[in-house]
Amino acid sequence: MSGRTVFLDGRRVTLAEHPLKGGGQAAVFPVEGDDHTVVKLYRDRPGPDQERRLTRMLAMSPLAARPTDASQPPELAWPTALARGPEGEFLGYAMHRFGEPGHVQLVGLFTRAQRLRLFLDRADWRFLLGVSWNLAFMTARMHHDNLVIGDFSSSNVVVDANGFVTFLDCDSIAFTDPVTGEAFPCLMHTTDYSSPERQAGGPATRASDDFALAVLVYQLLTAGNHPFGGVPHESTSESTVKDNIAASVSYVVRPELVVVPRGTVDPSVLPPELLTLARSAFGPGVHAPAARPSAEAWLRALDKERAQVRVCPARPLHTYGSHLPTCPWCTRAATTGHDVFNGPRSVPVPTPAPPQQPAAARRFSPLVGVALLVALLLIILIVAPRL
Amino acid sequence: MSSEYPPTLPAEYADIEFENNAQRLPLVLCLDTSSSMAGPPIQTLNNALVEWTRELHDDVALSYSVEVAVVTFGGQGVAAWRGPQPLAPGAPVSPFVPAHMFSPPQLGAAGVTLMTEALELSMHIVAARKAELRASGLQYYRPQICLVTDGLPTDGTGHRTDSWQRLVPVLEEEQRARRFRLYAIGVGGITDLGEQVLRAFAPTFNARIQGFPFRELLQMMSASANAEQKGAGDEVFEKIFSQFKTQRPAWES
Repeated sequence: MSGRTVFLDGRRVTLAEHPLKGGGQAAVFPVEGDDHTVVKLYRDRPGPDQERRLTRMLAMSPLAARPTDASQPPELAWPTALARGPEGEFLGYAMHRFGEPGHVQLVGLFTRAQRLRLFLDRADWRFLLGVSWNLAFMTARMHHDNLVIGDFSSSNVVVDANGFVTFLDCDSIAFTDPVTGEAFPCLMHTTDYSSPERQAGGPATRASDDFALAVLVYQLLTAGNHPFGGVPHESTSESTVKDNIAASVSYVVRPELVVVPRGTVDPSVLPPELLTLARSAFGPGVHAPAARPSAEAWLRALDKERAQVRVCPARPLHTYGSHLPTCPWCTRAATTGHDVFNGPRSVPVPTPAPPQQPAAARRFSPLVGVALLVALLLIILIVAPRL
Repeated sequence: MSSEYPPTLPAEYADIEFENNAQRLPLVLCLDTSSSMAGPPIQTLNNALVEWTRELHDDVALSYSVEVAVVTFGGQGVAAWRGPQPLAPGAPVSPFVPAHMFSPPQLGAAGVTLMTEALELSMHIVAARKAELRASGLQYYRPQICLVTDGLPTDGTGHRTDSWQRLVPVLEEEQRARRFRLYAIGVGGITDLGEQVLRAFAPTFNARIQGFPFRELLQMMSASANAEQKGAGDEVFEKIFSQFKTQRPAWES
């Protein structure tokens, strides 16, 4: 069944009856006969300022100077045309389609079940590091072009099989029209990624983007853990991520303040330089925007690590930072029985174990080889009965 | 409270959920399965649950943090379901299932309408779940309880009763304290009196809908869950609800 008819730059198109995605403010529809385009229609008739915003955006082509290889999708789902009704009334806009299965919301990388379902054997720590780099690059580029993302979250960025990222909700970006000087603010935000000044109603800034970027990078590098998770020891019963941000309570900086969520990946999986940036962002940077590391600082630190990633010989999908003497994912699997990257059934049953060694030897062994061997033994001992 | 529902995920699930420490969003579907729902209505509901489950699994953002429990009132009483499995009263298992693993029950319709008891059970499992989550250091968004009925509260013998009035002050306090969002939806041939009950339960989010638009209803619950994840203000939830209430498709502008 067909849905409504709209006009894109005067070209008549028919939309699908059902939207791909509908929120409180707008819904996104496929276009019949055009798999590469979607149209976002606002629920309430958008005002003249929104029309002016989109019109100005069509005249801009941010990040255009960036050389990209052919396999890389654009970093912004920039508007391609205004969508109008039969009377010429402004209804929304068209953009390139970045949908599943090729493009997955960033949140799809935050749990093992989704990683394995959506990325098969690709999403290891090296991949997450690469996505973090792309995210920091995208943010730095946008800031360079005087664009503020504003509503920056794990839901409105998509990632493809190569780890390239695309920001979806460009109509909420904050920018100042270079020609007229008119400022278009960002009116949306997602509380789990909002710095305290944004939560309090302040405008979107580069520093508020830097806060969201820090949270997203931290989540990626820990395979999904939000740095403001955890229930404060002295909280009221309805404590949330939002409350922890507002109160500057992060277990990455001050673990003693909260009941740390069970199953949390130790922050030490972040290489030291990245961990230092995270601690600045989630400590002093929470209430002091100027103390937050910039996107460029993240980019530089991430860049250094990309060439140094280690590959674990023991288990598939185990890669980790060069600062660690042994595979943290094997250690975790050994101590908790949980492998962050491999499903319980996809790991081959290891060969029968030689006599056991004391667990205490593992962590303090100076010899990487010995430590690996012991870790492997522990995995065998713990995992084997479960299989 | 949590002693009745200790945090015991069955062993086959424990490994899967161990890694996910997302902030959770508990969602309770509190469904009328009394005799008046028999025939096409219950079949429509079952089909809608299957469709909705598929959409839930496909939605990476929702399946990251939503947890679903089903409570039914019909037959001889009330029941909590863990996915497709009815739980024995007082069973030491939480009825909440992570969205990506949820599969719907196949519901039949018969018997009486213990609506009050079902809402009390819903509130109880939400409170117990919160206690479990907190004990694990996990946070939660404001839970959603969705009551769906085509009738009036009865007692265990099927006679109309005013005992539901005992719930009104409790619900008022719980909603004022923002402990959950209650949606109360009348469907089919619900009477004026039935609608009054729902209005008393859920002053903000009550509706009387023609027919049995369970699909739209469940999509509205997903849209609300989405708004909750985003941290939307009350006005957004009211907007989503009014779009549903006026029975225009959610995608119409």
